[in-house]
Amino acid sequence: MKENTPSIPIGNVLRADIRSFVIASRIPEPEVPTFGTFVRAPIQQGKAQLIGLVYDIRLQDDPFLRDLAATVVEGDSNYEEVIRDQREVRAVPVEISVVAIAYGDETGYHYGLPPQPPMILHRIHVCTPAEVHAITARPDFLRPLLENREVPADELITRALLRAAPLHGGSGTADAQDYLLAAGRYLARRLGREPLRLETILQQLQG
Amino acid sequence: MPVVKGRKTPNSSDREPFAVKLSWAIMWRMLHLERLKSAIEALSQQTQATSQQAAIELRQALHWLKTAPSATTLRENLPQETRPGQEIAIPPLDLPLESALQPENAPPRGTVIIGVDGSQIPPDRHALALYYVLQTGALIFRYNGQAPTPLQQAELHFLEHELYDEEGLLITGQLGMRRAIAEMTLATSLAEQVHAEGAPTPIMTLTDGPLLWPYSGRSNEERQSLLPTYFAAFDRLREVGGMPVGFTERPGGKALLELLWQSRLDENGQPRHEGERHPEAVDDELLMAHFLAPGERSVWLKRLSPMNEKHHEPAGHPIWFCYLNLGERDLPIIARIEAPQWAAKREEWSATLHAVLVHQAAILHGNPYILARAHELALVTHQDKAALESLLHRRLLEHGIITRTSEKARQKGFF
Repeated sequence: MKENTPSIPIGNVLRADIRSFVIASRIPEPEVPTFGTFVRAPIQQGKAQLIGLVYDIRLQDDPFLRDLAATVVEGDSNYEEVIRDQREVRAVPVEISVVAIAYGDETGYHYGLPPQPPMILHRIHVCTPAEVHAITARPDFLRPLLENREVPADELITRALLRAAPLHGGSGTADAQDYLLAAGRYLARRLGREPLRLETILQQLQG
Repeated sequence: MPVVKGRKTPNSSDREPFAVKLSWAIMWRMLHLERLKSAIEALSQQTQATSQQAAIELRQALHWLKTAPSATTLRENLPQETRPGQEIAIPPLDLPLESALQPENAPPRGTVIIGVDGSQIPPDRHALALYYVLQTGALIFRYNGQAPTPLQQAELHFLEHELYDEEGLLITGQLGMRRAIAEMTLATSLAEQVHAEGAPTPIMTLTDGPLLWPYSGRSNEERQSLLPTYFAAFDRLREVGGMPVGFTERPGGKALLELLWQSRLDENGQPRHEGERHPEAVDDELLMAHFLAPGERSVWLKRLSPMNEKHHEPAGHPIWFCYLNLGERDLPIIARIEAPQWAAKREEWSATLHAVLVHQAAILHGNPYILARAHELALVTHQDKAALESLLHRRLLEHGIITRTSEKARQKGFF
């Protein structure tokens, strides 16, 4: 599937280093990206795009919300409009953490750490399916995750592969299975000295 | 410049130990609580004395309330003259004054209430340029299970006639009046919009503070522009089934107590019962806190104030008020609720308003939810102001104008 779906803006960079960055967002609940979502951020004055995976989502509270939390009861019609207001309109601040896996420029995608982190307040977008297809064409996008001990890498690898596989032949097709098999072989080579870790990832991929 | 014992003055050397510099930083910025200690003690003692006196007066006032004459008698026996600054209330309807009215169970399905609030950046001679900003925020809350609708409006005013009054002085107090007009104008346009959607009446608009115009009404701007606009908004609200409502928490005032005191006087203006004195330490709020159970409201009252009599009444919008307890058992929160006579005297509208306010306040421990949200939407934060100044600075530079804040303003930013 290589359709050119418009990408969705999700927020602005709040803080960043070369391996990861955090986005501040106030988007309503249905649009909050999920764990393992591919996102991109402009770097090098927009000449390149950093590609990353969402690995943490934190819903921030504030004094107003704290006050309400002690009162409202979900499912009680007395609070129906208030809960919807908080979830859909007021949109609590969300911090979305992203780990860098690649960057793309006019010559294509390069796996590994980017030349610089995204600058503060740059707008971040969710990658389109076509972009995810291109980024995940080779399993090398997993390498930065395997080397990163500061994120839940194994869960993230599983989620990214399961998200990418249907784009390489359709959900449940032989091509998608072949894609996962190739990724499994890549992981086996990389995790030769960590058999338990490999087993866990492969089990999650099968499950 | 103060001197640290045995040391140089803090700005005379950059080689002083860090601890000394830190202590200077603390000394410079802290409030000198030690010097205020005796004043704090005096304040506490005075509060205690007032509180003791209030407790005595309160028992008396509660008795007066529970044994008050009929509303008709109270209206007939008003004093011919009142002391300067003294405001007295009358019960405009015939309900007994000692009535404490219960709310309906829940707001009727489909009811709409619009909360509106405003904030401002006042004109500042030390800023980059002379201007002021008014921002209004509103939340349309429909009792239909859907998410409410938020709205914000902002105005930047910079023309000379907007910034200076008739005497050539930079406006200060006028900003509050203009803000009140902006709030009422927004409330009216939103009520019109909701009316066009077919919402049931009353379409309530709730603003934070009194509905009775809280200024003197004597300035030219008020007489020629602001008050006519204010009353035109009331006219329009009335046409579209709107019900403007003012909400004041911790209202202060003694208009009801003055009425009760009046009921204790004979035809010569002397107390009929020995030992009774004019209440000084107790006010309406304290009386109501001990009279109204949670959720209950008083009967409607009307203040016989110059503003009500000389401005609101001729415009067709005299203001009535009642007290409402939005707190919990043993934690009363008394608010003064104001509405124009034409809306308040409609029993079904009053009942809907009562139910909605009790519901709204229960969400946020006594403060109506829509007002809290409207305030949030209207608020101009320090960050907002900084962003505005930054944008303004850039635009001025693009026009070849180099400007900056005053040195005083720049240095104030250090603290």
